[in-house]
Amino acid sequence: MNLRDLGAGVWERSNRPVRVAIVLVTLFLICLLPYAGGTFLATPVAAFDSVLVYPIAMFVLMSLGLNIVVGKSGMLDLGYVAFFAIGAYTMALLGTHTGLNTWEIMPIGIGLSMLAGVLLGLPTLRLRGDYLAIVTLGFGEIVRIVALNSESTGGPNGIANVPMPPNILGQEYNIFNQKLFFWTTLVMILLVIWLVRRLSVRRPGRAWEAIRQDEDAAELMGVPTLRYKIWSFTLGAAIGGAAGVLFASKNLFIAPEMFTLNVSILILSCIVFGGIGNIWGVIVGAVILGYLPDRIRFLSDARLLVFGVVLVVTMNFRPDGLLPRKKREKALPVKVKSGVES
Amino acid sequence: MFSVLIDQFWSLTISGIALGFIYVLISLGYTMVYGVLRMINFANSEIFMFGTFATVVITRDVFHYTSLTTHSTGFRLVLILLLSLIASMLTSAVVAVFVEFVAYRRLRARGTNKLATLISAIGISIVLSETMRLLTHSRPTGSGRVLEKISLGTLWGANIRIDNVLTIVAASIIFILLDRFVKLSRMGKAIRAVSMNEDASKLMGVNLNRVISTTFLIGGLMTGAASFFFVTVYENTKFNIGFSMGLAAFTAAVLGGIGNIRGAFAGGIALGLLETYASAVLGTQWKAVTVFITLVLVLLFRPNGLFGEAIQQTRA
Amino acid sequence: MTTPILELKNLTMQFGGVVALNEVNIKVMPQEILALIGPNGAGKTTVFNVITGVYQATSGDVLFEGGSVAGKSRHEITKGGIARTFQNIRLWGDMTALENVITATDVHKKSGVIGALFGLPRARREEKANRAKAHEILEFIGIDEYSDRLAKNLPYGVQRRLEIARAMGTSPRLILLDEPAAGFNPAEKVELANTIKKIRDAGYTVLLIEHDMSLIMGISDRVVVLDFGQKIADDLPSVVQNDSRVIEAYLGVPDDAS
Repeated sequence: MNLRDLGAGVWERSNRPVRVAIVLVTLFLICLLPYAGGTFLATPVAAFDSVLVYPIAMFVLMSLGLNIVVGKSGMLDLGYVAFFAIGAYTMALLGTHTGLNTWEIMPIGIGLSMLAGVLLGLPTLRLRGDYLAIVTLGFGEIVRIVALNSESTGGPNGIANVPMPPNILGQEYNIFNQKLFFWTTLVMILLVIWLVRRLSVRRPGRAWEAIRQDEDAAELMGVPTLRYKIWSFTLGAAIGGAAGVLFASKNLFIAPEMFTLNVSILILSCIVFGGIGNIWGVIVGAVILGYLPDRIRFLSDARLLVFGVVLVVTMNFRPDGLLPRKKREKALPVKVKSGVES
Repeated sequence: MFSVLIDQFWSLTISGIALGFIYVLISLGYTMVYGVLRMINFANSEIFMFGTFATVVITRDVFHYTSLTTHSTGFRLVLILLLSLIASMLTSAVVAVFVEFVAYRRLRARGTNKLATLISAIGISIVLSETMRLLTHSRPTGSGRVLEKISLGTLWGANIRIDNVLTIVAASIIFILLDRFVKLSRMGKAIRAVSMNEDASKLMGVNLNRVISTTFLIGGLMTGAASFFFVTVYENTKFNIGFSMGLAAFTAAVLGGIGNIRGAFAGGIALGLLETYASAVLGTQWKAVTVFITLVLVLLFRPNGLFGEAIQQTRA
Repeated sequence: MTTPILELKNLTMQFGGVVALNEVNIKVMPQEILALIGPNGAGKTTVFNVITGVYQATSGDVLFEGGSVAGKSRHEITKGGIARTFQNIRLWGDMTALENVITATDVHKKSGVIGALFGLPRARREEKANRAKAHEILEFIGIDEYSDRLAKNLPYGVQRRLEIARAMGTSPRLILLDEPAAGFNPAEKVELANTIKKIRDAGYTVLLIEHDMSLIMGISDRVVVLDFGQKIADDLPSVVQNDSRVIEAYLGVPDDAS
């Protein structure tokens, strides 16, 4: 059963007004989620609206970012947490040492993450798949180790008293009431979706697809592969960094132990499980894998184990994930001979 | 900063070489699998980790060694050491074959792309380390001292400890045996044939599945041996020990030339020395960083390693 | 005396101990159809690989429109005006036929990620123009009706032609066709021959590797024969057909020949 095609079918059969209505209603329902804390959706340990922000919404955001790298371009980045960490530490350090607020620090955090993406990418993106994976994994660990062992980043104790974002529209960001954080993250998610979709139907999207499907052919057809690989890496880094800035601002306190390899693996699991390359699949995957461990108690401690199993099982039995990326062909006006696979 | 390095140079060198031999054996796990599959055996780190626990279980639980037990000598000692070594090797071999079967085989049969196989391997690696974490409640596990670390004498101011000597000598023997096996035995030739040209090998009647499973098995045996030496020298282990050791051994394999057994030897020793010296100069907390930087430098400037094949193949 | 559009000068390609190409000298004139033939293993695809930058020549040079391609990256060479098809089809299967060609046209675009992201006017113009151009090319090749079908679902013959269309998308001046007729029946081969002639007449130069002699003799202006990495003939089709060395290379020499 192809869920993607089911959904796509409904979408395509509807005309414009219906589509707008579907989108608005869905968005409205999602915005109401933080109020659902008292229902069967409630999470036993952490507060529901806090879980909605982290891990759920943040995982969605980061999955969208990593999807650009892994899903669209076919490059395995195992050190994605590094960009999340860079964003978070930027927020923490600048927030506690300067008078800048979250929104002013956001572009700086994003910029530094992108810079890290370029610096990491330039020497390593020429490497083949598995080597790139190991190197990026190492990079992720290095960032954590540096944060752990440097005085300036607070060492193992991390940094506390990270300021919250300034009030917006008269509403206050409050650690006991995470609704505003959720809506803010939601806005960022929508922005990223818009960004990715825009790029997908234009030159960058084509370049990434060509690179993913056959990189050598792409090069020989004039696609400047290194440039686009770096772009994909950098955009993914930017999104990770943005998520990090917001995370630090929400959590008020960050420490190296929050930025381990596990996070990179978690995000990867979300993508793989949900459907590599498919934006909606990735979102669904992140929501499910972000939510379930907090909902089902015994899963909590075994969370990573479950994710490992998810990776193995998904790759073995349903490598395309829940919502596969496969494109549907548009209906043909003229009957043509059915294709033969070459 | 450098004073430690200079004062203790020979001491560091000896422990560096011993560590190097451990790396040699683990990197054989990576290099041999790479040779036949052209893929990194991501889970080799957990194959190593399980071997270390096997050693601990044998010495601590079967032979009831704690840090207070009086040590055996002579024949009984040799017996215990030998049994621990064999147990570790077998455990790692079993885990290795399990990994091949669960993470690689099905995907290989279906011709799935490399990315999916890699993710599957990562998954199994996580499953293995998390299982052990839950079993050990995230705590490190100490092993009893089986081998009294007596000094055999000094050389240029360095203390020659028996455990280092044991590691170096025994690991050398195992390595030489492997080298001979790959060179001379029928299976060894099959493995080399597959690593050179898979299609031709299949046409020549080589049973590919059998060769690949055997390669994983042998890699597991080597890695298991390494885990025994590791526990003997360092006397502890933890569920996540595989990560740092694996990364280092992988770097060693790349340094020597991935796919090349003799390269693994050179790379392993070199990395063992490099890491030991770097720890003395910079402090042990920067060990992983040193290894990682070495890896990146090798991949950037000499991807063939010292003896190996090009990592980037041009295809057209 | 026109200058050749492509010149291989003393081109040698060595892989370890194997000499794939040995001091090969070939000149390709503008708007000619030059066929490169020879027994399997003669080095024909190696020639293509050196021209397109997949391999760097061990010694000798490849001059395209007077300039050397040595040291240039593959996508630069394509941008410079050389495109190719592949012996085994290497289309981007999950993209439609149209998208395959549009991706090829992207090579000359000046806008990139920034343009796409912010919808800059130049990006929009180029996008529209390239899409139209891609349709044009598909029509020219005769497969426009398949433009919205996924490349992997296309019939074999259409895929082969799509490869050519895609190569044309890069606006090359020289097109390298690697066994474009492989697997075709005689009728398809005739159609292909006409297409190739049409391509040449539209202003392109074609360098062609093929095994089908009638196809080659029918459309080539000149034929170059390689054997064991060396050029053994370079002349009009009719002359080459009767060259004893060529016949020997393909058929071998009888055991009792002196």
